[in-house]
Amino acid sequence: MTHLTAVPSADGARPIVSLTDVIKTYTLGKVEVPALRGVTLKVYPGEFISIAGPSGSGKTTALNLIGCVDTASSGVVMVDGQDTKQLTERQLTHLRLHTIGFIFQSFNLVSVLSVFQNVEFPLLLQRKLSADERRQRVMTLLEQVGLDKHAKHRPNELSGGQRQRVAVARALVTRPKLVLADEPTANLDSVTGQNIIDLMKELNRKEGTTFIFSTHDAKVMNHANAVVRLADGKILGRITPAEAQMAMAASAEGH
Amino acid sequence: MGQLTLLLQVAFRNLFASWVNVIIGAIVLFGTLLVVVGGAVVESLDESLSRSIIGSVAGHIQVYSEKSKDSLALFGKMGGEANLSAIEKFSDIKKVLLQHPNVKTVVPMGSNSTLMTSGNTVDLTLARLRDLYKQAAPGETPDLRAQIDSVKAHVRQMIAFLDEDLKKRNALASENTLDPTDLQALARAQSPEFWDGFEKDPLASLEFLENRIAPLVADGDLIGMRYVGTDLVSFQKTFDRMRIVDGTPVPEGQRGMLLSKFFYEEFFKLKTARRLDLIKEARDVNHKKIAEDPEIQRRLKENQTQTRELLLQLDPLKTQQATARLRKVLGSNETGLEKLLVSFFTMDDTNFDTRYQQFYEELVPLLDLYRIRLGDELSITSFTRTGYAKSANVKVYGTYEFTGMEKSQVAGALNLMDLITFRELYGYMTVDQKDELEKLQAASGVAEVKREDAEASLFSEDSSLVAESSEGIIDEDVQLDGASQARRQEELARRKYTQQDTEDGMVLHAAVILKNPDTLEQTIAELQESTKKAGLPLKVVSWHQASDIIGQIILVAKLVLYAAVFIIFVVAVVIINNSVMMATLQRVREIGTMRAIGAQRGFVLGMVLVETTVLGLVFGAVGALLGTLAVKKLGTMGIPALHESMHFFFSGPRLFPSLHASNIVTALVIVVGVSAFSTFYPAFLATRVSPLQAMQTDE
Repeated sequence: MTHLTAVPSADGARPIVSLTDVIKTYTLGKVEVPALRGVTLKVYPGEFISIAGPSGSGKTTALNLIGCVDTASSGVVMVDGQDTKQLTERQLTHLRLHTIGFIFQSFNLVSVLSVFQNVEFPLLLQRKLSADERRQRVMTLLEQVGLDKHAKHRPNELSGGQRQRVAVARALVTRPKLVLADEPTANLDSVTGQNIIDLMKELNRKEGTTFIFSTHDAKVMNHANAVVRLADGKILGRITPAEAQMAMAASAEGH
Repeated sequence: MGQLTLLLQVAFRNLFASWVNVIIGAIVLFGTLLVVVGGAVVESLDESLSRSIIGSVAGHIQVYSEKSKDSLALFGKMGGEANLSAIEKFSDIKKVLLQHPNVKTVVPMGSNSTLMTSGNTVDLTLARLRDLYKQAAPGETPDLRAQIDSVKAHVRQMIAFLDEDLKKRNALASENTLDPTDLQALARAQSPEFWDGFEKDPLASLEFLENRIAPLVADGDLIGMRYVGTDLVSFQKTFDRMRIVDGTPVPEGQRGMLLSKFFYEEFFKLKTARRLDLIKEARDVNHKKIAEDPEIQRRLKENQTQTRELLLQLDPLKTQQATARLRKVLGSNETGLEKLLVSFFTMDDTNFDTRYQQFYEELVPLLDLYRIRLGDELSITSFTRTGYAKSANVKVYGTYEFTGMEKSQVAGALNLMDLITFRELYGYMTVDQKDELEKLQAASGVAEVKREDAEASLFSEDSSLVAESSEGIIDEDVQLDGASQARRQEELARRKYTQQDTEDGMVLHAAVILKNPDTLEQTIAELQESTKKAGLPLKVVSWHQASDIIGQIILVAKLVLYAAVFIIFVVAVVIINNSVMMATLQRVREIGTMRAIGAQRGFVLGMVLVETTVLGLVFGAVGALLGTLAVKKLGTMGIPALHESMHFFFSGPRLFPSLHASNIVTALVIVVGVSAFSTFYPAFLATRVSPLQAMQTDE
């Protein structure tokens, strides 16, 4: 399988995401639970990266830090050239709105809004486009995800796969530089999950949007340019999907 | 713009998404309904009461002397009359008040009250007998003789009843409570010798009966009567709700009284008849049933036990007639009238209407239906401010009522009287008394002022005589002997007074009618100022204040409504607060998602607030609509006054509430305010929802 997208390069191009010695510790009552223990990672524009690892390895924590919904206990998290530690809550929100798109495991659509309105939502928050422009943008995306016929439907009238496609459209509608997806296929059957990953991949290729998604599904991992393996809050390495599969098979045998 | 549209859309769609919202909606709806309907009713009540008070006696403004110890209470107050200082000359204040461009009319007034007895039946019968003897004095006719004999027989019958009653009473009491001299008197009054000798000196015999026997009969009532002395012509012109019911108005410039129709019926009508009237009204108007209503049953019972009132009135001839008529009506062989009456007054729902008619057709023609008939003179005794008892006989010309308030005890308690008589009773020297004083002075050679001069000095602007007429000057010396007293009374009744007589004298207060009542408060302030400048310092008060307790009742009604509204909305605040909290908790993931996607805290705050505001507006609008319909319905049906005492407040037997736009606006503003207010805390909590919450999964 060949990858036509830009290959990660250490030379010249600025990384869109850069984690340096990031430690994240949660406090549960009096116990300190380390989630990330010194993670360093760079992601370059146009990458399609999977973060893999068993549950509890720190995948979600890493994505939350990259997604600016959480801050690191120590270390530096740079997103689109900005040190998230230096930003106020408002500025973080602004950064999320304009730079990052989110795809959630449970889709997280607003149930009282139609498909169209759900996708339009971030554009309304941005207040940059006119109503016509918004409509055009939303409908183009809905066409791309194959849901232009369902624009007026409510989320509860759609299947799981359709809902996640709406979520994908919502994540991409602002044309973000970075899309984060935490276990986007976990709540879907394998065929549907496959379709969602294909859709993401296609958008990555066409728009050059950077995707970072977490998964523990080897088939899903396969589509990534690179797999970042996490275990016990540490990065084991940045490997190819094939290597990752071998490693997973090995660890499965080891058990 | 797009954001607000979105927020509104989210809000509308969330409206029925949760049962919590429906509960909030129900509270809001009920609250609005209450504010709209309650507000409309209280406001209409205020309007109708103001119509009642302004239209009956108060006018828009009342003025009274600034020196007064009490504040004015037109409809009386606890513990008697308000202590007001006199305004010496009404025309002076009238002139000053009329200078104000907004003042239309000023009506002079003085209110006071007195206790009087309605007179007992024996007294009245003896008076009639005395009258007949007087008529017979120049020459007796057979007709007069027959009448005299009949009344005499009546008196004898009364004495027999009296004797019977006293003996019964005595048997019931443990000790012998009767005064032996009373018993002796009673024995003498029953003895044939007394009646045989009656004609020898009828007047002396009458005197014996009047002094010794009549006091033993205790069927006279003590009646508390309030009266307002006023310029009757001006009063009737000004208060156009006033209507003469029976009789005629007091002729212009003459002394006289108009009794309130309600008062007249209540206190002067034959009690049996009054009770029957009230029962008829309860049945016809209020659709009560004798079988079900204890009050009607009590009244019927009283009619059966208190037949003595009728028996005493009937002379032997009429007793026979009544007996015959009742036997026919009842188809009975009974010969005792008392027993016949008891069985006649045994009424139920089936025979009431026939019996009522029979009572008026068969019995009433034999009876005096009213103790005081129109055209009779009423003797009123009143205490002057310095403690002298003053009495005056006033001719009752008629009865009047205020349209719409026929049944109101409050409005019905006011009797009207000419100002001249009022002043006399209040202890002020009237024009007549001054004349008499001068006559006496002239006769005794101490005349200082000649008759002609007196007339002039009395009516001139700077009259020293008028100025002197302060309270306390009442001359007990000028008591005239019986005969000339009577002559004087007759003279007085016919005497005509000029408008100047009426206006130049003392009043206690005055009603001011305005051309434009909307500027009431301003006019009050200006009148206060102008009277002070003119050297006639007056207290100027609105009808509200002038009616004392009555005026406050509307305030109480308002307070009750506001308290109810307040409680409802306090409950609403708590419930809305809790519900929105719950709703927010239920929506943590949704809010977290919005925050993650890039919604600022302000957006979340706005979302929650817009939602409750929309909720408040939508359900508030439905509540206001229902309220409007309810008020419309009430406006055509009217709220019936449950009790006659409410007629005054309703300005009639029913209150027809009407709606003002302000009622609805107020209700909506309150509702939206309350819902927004009670959402602030949960909305604040919502803004604290972390975007991390979006990452949580359902499972």
